[in-house]
Amino acid sequence: MTFARDRYRTVIVGAGIVGLFTAHHLARAGAGPILVVDRGFLSSGSSGRNGGGVRQQWETRSTVRLARESVVAYRRFGREYGYNIWFRQGGYLFLADTEAEMARLRTVHDLVRSEGLDSRLVAPDAIGRWLDGIAPGTVAGGSYLATDGTLYPFPALWGLYEADRALGVEVALGVDVTGIGVDDGRVRRVTTASGTVATESVVNAAGGWSAELSARAGLVAPNTATRHEILATEPMKPFLDPMVVRVRDGLYFSQTMRGELVGGITVPHPPGTARGMPTSPRFLTEMARAMVGLLPRLGALNVMRAWSGFYDDTPDGLPVIGADPRLPGFFHANGFGGHGFMLAPAATRRVAAAVLDSPVDLDPAEFSLGRFLAPGATPRAERLQLG
Amino acid sequence: MTNAPARRFRLGGLRLTAADGETLVDALARRGLPRVVRSVRYHRPRAPFCGTGDCAGCLVRLNGRPNVRACRHPIEEGDRIEGSNGWPSAAVDLLGAVDVLFPHGIDTLRGFRRPAFATRLYHRVIRRLAGYSAAPDGAAAAGLRAPARELTADVVVVGGGVAGSAAAARLAAAGRSTVVVDRRFAPAAVAGANSIPAAQVTFLPPPAAGRDVPFELLGFAEPAQGLRLRSRAVVVATGGYDASLLFGGNDRPGVMAAELALRLAADGRRPPFAHPVIVGGGSRAGALLERLGRSVVAVVAPGEIAPEVAARASALEVPLYPRSLVLEAAGRRRVHTLRLRGRGDGPAFSISCDAVLLAHRRLPVVQLFFQAGAAMAWRGDPGAYYPHLSADGATTVPGLFAAGTVAGADGPAAAESGLRAAEAVLAGAPPGPAPSAPPPPADAGPLEGYYRELLREPRHGKWIACPCEDVLADEVETAHARGYQGIEVIKRYTALGTGVCQGRYCLPDALLLLAILEGRPPPAVGYITQRPPVVPTPLGALASLPPATAPEVVA
Repeated sequence: MTFARDRYRTVIVGAGIVGLFTAHHLARAGAGPILVVDRGFLSSGSSGRNGGGVRQQWETRSTVRLARESVVAYRRFGREYGYNIWFRQGGYLFLADTEAEMARLRTVHDLVRSEGLDSRLVAPDAIGRWLDGIAPGTVAGGSYLATDGTLYPFPALWGLYEADRALGVEVALGVDVTGIGVDDGRVRRVTTASGTVATESVVNAAGGWSAELSARAGLVAPNTATRHEILATEPMKPFLDPMVVRVRDGLYFSQTMRGELVGGITVPHPPGTARGMPTSPRFLTEMARAMVGLLPRLGALNVMRAWSGFYDDTPDGLPVIGADPRLPGFFHANGFGGHGFMLAPAATRRVAAAVLDSPVDLDPAEFSLGRFLAPGATPRAERLQLG
Repeated sequence: MTNAPARRFRLGGLRLTAADGETLVDALARRGLPRVVRSVRYHRPRAPFCGTGDCAGCLVRLNGRPNVRACRHPIEEGDRIEGSNGWPSAAVDLLGAVDVLFPHGIDTLRGFRRPAFATRLYHRVIRRLAGYSAAPDGAAAAGLRAPARELTADVVVVGGGVAGSAAAARLAAAGRSTVVVDRRFAPAAVAGANSIPAAQVTFLPPPAAGRDVPFELLGFAEPAQGLRLRSRAVVVATGGYDASLLFGGNDRPGVMAAELALRLAADGRRPPFAHPVIVGGGSRAGALLERLGRSVVAVVAPGEIAPEVAARASALEVPLYPRSLVLEAAGRRRVHTLRLRGRGDGPAFSISCDAVLLAHRRLPVVQLFFQAGAAMAWRGDPGAYYPHLSADGATTVPGLFAAGTVAGADGPAAAESGLRAAEAVLAGAPPGPAPSAPPPPADAGPLEGYYRELLREPRHGKWIACPCEDVLADEVETAHARGYQGIEVIKRYTALGTGVCQGRYCLPDALLLLAILEGRPPPAVGYITQRPPVVPTPLGALASLPPATAPEVVA
């Protein structure tokens, strides 16, 4: 395919939730023409492979705020973008197995409450209210926030895709970006398999492939792609309202509107995208053991299919948002660590503001890529990288 | 009939009996067409379609266990069975009104967005409509618990039909330790081989390079025993299945695959239909005609009818309708009329019948090859992918071989194909070369012209493109009209292919529909990634498998 123009004000690489939302904010601000390119089809990356969880329980205040703002946006999504994402606020239930984990959840709880959200601590004997049939003695307690929830990722993509195009955004799918052209110390061009276009700004919203894309602009980024696996069971009648997340091993699952349980567990895989997105026998068996161990009655339920996708991880567990301090015209909207959907509506407002050179209400020490450029290791800030 | 006492069971409020070893579907079929499930969106009455445990037409809740395939469960004394997704029952379901009230379907993608205050109500209603059985109860899971079975062998043969048995017998005779996994409950024994009946391999990852025993297969034996099989080589002989067909009411009770009809009429049993129409003109239709004889009211075929089938039909005085468009199966609780039109603007006509038996297209069961990463090749006739094979039946994956229908060898050629695969295993045949690029221009096959004509016809009744998820053909067309392209995106847009059959029954026709809409051959439309497991597998079976001792190797 070829492009409609030879010059764009902004080229966004990645047509996932982050790229499409960023394009939307920019287009609404009249900052066109805008081109979104993606090497795959719509929904082929992590935005089409996640479990649809949206939560506001985090260990860092800024993340809680971004998530809270995103929840408001998702509640309105259907009326604004024409597609029903079935955002169901059934809550998020974190489970702690030990007192130490419970202490962590208490810290999260205090922070979340201080931001005006009605988080609750849950005693072990009260967990059965949400998780009927839980194996006795498996948890030390939990935390619960009723306004967290789950949504259908796909219609969010369709809604944004159509809304973006209605605003004049060009979306080119199946187009691989092969190079970012730099002259006089700033971004000038984007080269693709379908030709080269001139541009002033490039937004790296490439998710699991963001470090690769930064490298094409000659930039080293600390992001690493890690493969995570997920499965869906057969559909059954509603029996589980919240998303359940266990701190110890990252087990999570929720029941979709269609009745399937969808969830995963953290199984170590070598970093990098080169090995593709297969399912491993180890994941299937460990996930089954974890689900059945927690809720024995699930042993009588069938798993229908499994798949995998990539988390775009950063060393400190926080995303990278805003201008790259080394290359004017190159902007980051990546490093969401498997939580792009949760934070995208709010985070991309800041990305758009950065591209437009407007004030950004985020602390650069927390979110700029510059935080990794100073010597010394970056401490882990957000460790609640689950569910 | 054996002398064993009849087994008593309950279906909802009914007290019924079954013969020893009889499945629920067979037991119910003696009394009429089994209707134990309602569809997930529109609560349409459904009856078994496939008879092999793959479709969603016989899902029941058995002793507290959800989504049990009634066609694969031999009744036991005291079984308590509930139908699925009906309120108050699958037989009498008041929610079936949804189907009548919304003849053109309900739009869950773009509908139910306003007003904001109704969101919670919409969520409640839509959640209630969806799903099959209620969640499992604790006793059900406890009753299923069984120690896992782990076996290591020289060769695992998946499928114990003609080709698989031939391969296994030859391998065992040559002194190779051989395991045959067969989904049937009582397959014929293979001398010298270790046979696992009522079992399915549902996950065949690519072999781990450099390991002495590179294959590790996962699966289960009914009802929920975990299986882990390790081997040096694998012969896949998973056979074929009868494809679905798109027309109005193609999901109506009484529309079924040839396989199920043959099963219900086996051994002189009286099937739950008296006036069936056979759809198809090839050997599969011939087999049905042979079994059902003069009860058949017509043989209709999308294309030509083979001379030997035509001759047999004439002898039985069964009328033939070659080159016919199947427009609609009418009849809400059971098909009573099949509406047709001759192709090429032929006349419209109707046939009274009480069953429509689909025998027009037999497709290979090839998911394991996709999982293992074998190179696949498209064949326009019948319209399916097959593993790309060397002359001796080797795939492009080292140690993985194909035999029988999946190797394109049907009927008398099947046994020979099994022997050839066994010889290749014994000789340590190398993997076949990767297909030479570019592949020949893809052929959309004989059904493409059929569907081109059919799509011009006015539509009556819902055309169910995906029965498991109640996706209409119109939804596929809407997605296309809104600019979405390729089967992977259409799948995510419409949910087609995401139900319990994993696309087995919807994907072949959806590919043709999209090929026509997009104006490109089916392979260019893409293919749904064949994700494991092939067949829904009990979590309890997987959970019972001990952690693998060998380190995970990512291919």
